[in-house]
Amino acid sequence: MKSVRIIALRKDRKRLLEHLQDSALVMVQKGRKEEKGFTRLDTSAQIKQFERNAELTEQALKILGKVEPEKKGMLASFKGRKEIDPDEIGRIASDSAKVIGICQKICKLDKQRADYAAEQVRIKTALAQLEPWKKLDIPLNTKDTATTAVLIGTLPRLYDDTTLSEALAGECPELLFEFEILYSSSNLTCLTLFTPKKQREMAEKALRTFGFSQPLNPTSRTPAVKTEHLLDKSEEIARKDEDAKNDIASFAKYRENICETQDYFNLRAEKYQVIAELDQTKHVFVLNGYVPEEDCSKLEAVCSKVPSCVVEFEDAGEDAPVKLKNNKFAEPAQSIVTMYSTPSHGDIDPTPILAFFFYFFFGMMFSDAGYGLLLIIGTAIAIKVFKPDKRMRNNLKLFQYCGVATVFWGLVFGSIFGDAPLMFYKMFTGDDSIKTMQQLLPWPTLDTQKDALMIMIMSIGLGLAHILVGMGCKFYICIKNKEYTKAFFDTGLWMLMLAGFAVLAVGMATSQVVLYIGAGIAAASAVGLVLTQGRGKKGIFGKLIGGVASLYDITSYISDLLSYSRLLALGLTTGVMAQVFNMLSNLFGTSVFGIICMILIFVAGHAITIGLNALGSYVHTMRLQYVEMFSKFYEGGGKPFEPFSTKSKYFRTKGSNDD
Amino acid sequence: MDGIMGMFLAILAAAVATVFAGIGSAKGVGSAAQTAMGVLSEDSSKFGKMLVLTLLPGTQGLYGFIVGFLVLTSCGVLGGDMPTLGQGFAFLAASFAIGFGGMISGFAQGKAAVSGITMTAKDEKNFSKAMVSITLVEIYALLAFIVSLLVVISVPNLKF
Repeated sequence: MKSVRIIALRKDRKRLLEHLQDSALVMVQKGRKEEKGFTRLDTSAQIKQFERNAELTEQALKILGKVEPEKKGMLASFKGRKEIDPDEIGRIASDSAKVIGICQKICKLDKQRADYAAEQVRIKTALAQLEPWKKLDIPLNTKDTATTAVLIGTLPRLYDDTTLSEALAGECPELLFEFEILYSSSNLTCLTLFTPKKQREMAEKALRTFGFSQPLNPTSRTPAVKTEHLLDKSEEIARKDEDAKNDIASFAKYRENICETQDYFNLRAEKYQVIAELDQTKHVFVLNGYVPEEDCSKLEAVCSKVPSCVVEFEDAGEDAPVKLKNNKFAEPAQSIVTMYSTPSHGDIDPTPILAFFFYFFFGMMFSDAGYGLLLIIGTAIAIKVFKPDKRMRNNLKLFQYCGVATVFWGLVFGSIFGDAPLMFYKMFTGDDSIKTMQQLLPWPTLDTQKDALMIMIMSIGLGLAHILVGMGCKFYICIKNKEYTKAFFDTGLWMLMLAGFAVLAVGMATSQVVLYIGAGIAAASAVGLVLTQGRGKKGIFGKLIGGVASLYDITSYISDLLSYSRLLALGLTTGVMAQVFNMLSNLFGTSVFGIICMILIFVAGHAITIGLNALGSYVHTMRLQYVEMFSKFYEGGGKPFEPFSTKSKYFRTKGSNDD
Repeated sequence: MDGIMGMFLAILAAAVATVFAGIGSAKGVGSAAQTAMGVLSEDSSKFGKMLVLTLLPGTQGLYGFIVGFLVLTSCGVLGGDMPTLGQGFAFLAASFAIGFGGMISGFAQGKAAVSGITMTAKDEKNFSKAMVSITLVEIYALLAFIVSLLVVISVPNLKF
């Protein structure tokens, strides 16, 4: 990584920045104080404006998506961004005002629809309140006549004609009344009560003792008319809502323009963020940034398009960002490394090692030649058909390489869609003499079920190799940093010890001599550890105790190694599940119906197996890398290299370096 | 009679392994799925990551099932010879490891998955950390599985 300083005339600023943004070569240093004699431009207002516009388009797209969902295939997420000509950006820019206008309209219509929905709720409540008064044929707010008082209201209990008249007579014997019950349920009785006008107060008092209350929002129309009126209103609102919805839907044809406009505003916001970081004088501006060493000449070429421009390179310091660069084999695994953490300057790039073990272990866990082939073919088709962006392409490649390893291990374990070849062989030849895949396949294979112990030892052996490679990296880093004591005593001795145990284990199976050699190595390194691990402590006892205590670390190594037994466990899971589904699909015999059932169960069953086990293999491989290997040497915490680029979501300009 | 008893014990063993480990996974995946659905109701674009985290406590059930299946293939139900009484007991004893190891670790992993899901919901960058932390629980189910497995595959060779 080099740090770079680009100096140019201010009048060329726009052009140069556009070139830089397109080429995506430079990462601009952010948060740096301006140098003496320079000023900074405050672009926050513009940035805010652009971001607001981008947000508006996002909102409009969401609304459009709700009203008129985009027809997307299930696999559309693989698809790369649309490629456009660089000149198109001018068109998008000149259209942007119009598109923003459309977005505003969409948002406004959506707001109207929200208001309509609220109104509908209000109407619904009003209708529900009117429901018990349906039978009332006078308005709810009917006033008294010349001689008769009219009381309309509710009682909070169930009454019928007899109980109510008894209750009223009991409460107030001299009251003259006539009433009509309009509605009654267990906790509500609606009634109208007539009484001579001079007895009104008496009647009110009597009713109030039963909890009488007058209806809320009395109206001057009869409930039936009012209900009809409300229903009409509701219908009208529904119509308006439908219109608004159609209006929004009519904008769906602009969806692509809105997407482009969103990208355009994000792109400009990004550019203005960079402008705010430039040191400027009246005529000149300076851009400070980082560029990967191999891209220096490319950057010079880009800058030479602007004649006033001067480029200076310098060695970057410790806090420079990190860009990973790997060959085709390892590149797909970069995302796995960065998902953990970007390497810092003290680290080595672990990607190549990780890539190898990732593919290898994934294959061992997924371990089926048929599934592996499907992975290889599926990803190849996806890459070919959808032309995905680099990120997605790398992810697909990752699974493609994993697929290759899967085929390899599938052949080792004699598993091709489980024991499907054996099943078909038996079915169509009726030959029962062959009992296992091992007998059917012409090459020697391991049976995950019968040779489980053997495969477990193998898994742990591979784990040991994995861990030793991790420790080897630590050793190398220490040597590189000239920390020789750390390298030899803290890492080297442990490596020796683990190797000693490995030799000892081999010796147990083969010969006494090897066993003694292994034990000797392990014991010698243990003594070495006791002598050296307490070196930071004070006093002879402190040193000794520190040294002995360090031997306790052996437990963590043992648990690390045992953790690799998952290679066996997951491999076995895949094999057994596949076998079970084969067995199920075979249950229905060879009639036409049986064959149809067989195909259905076979396809569905293997789809389930692939889904579950690919996921399991992915997760557990990742864990083996992160927990068992990275813990041995990898620190991470570096800053990723994020170049100044278009960062667009929907389009990419043709020929740009941005991916 | 011994043969029937041996058979019964072997089938019981398959049931113990499958059912108890399954209970662990069912509960673990269930609670994780509930939380994940809560997250998805806010932002459905996280579905892929949520699916991964939700399925992590599901392996215990699979391990239990595999032990159960291996027992069935070697006890005369789906192949193999009818076990003796002693072999039946051996199957049963072996299945307890994954049965209970799987169940309890399934509960624990489910809880871890719930926390991992909320952590990922807050910031998607936490996904890999959450994933690794959840798989830390898995090792105990794995150890139980290995113990069950090693016994089950060697039982048919035991003579008693």
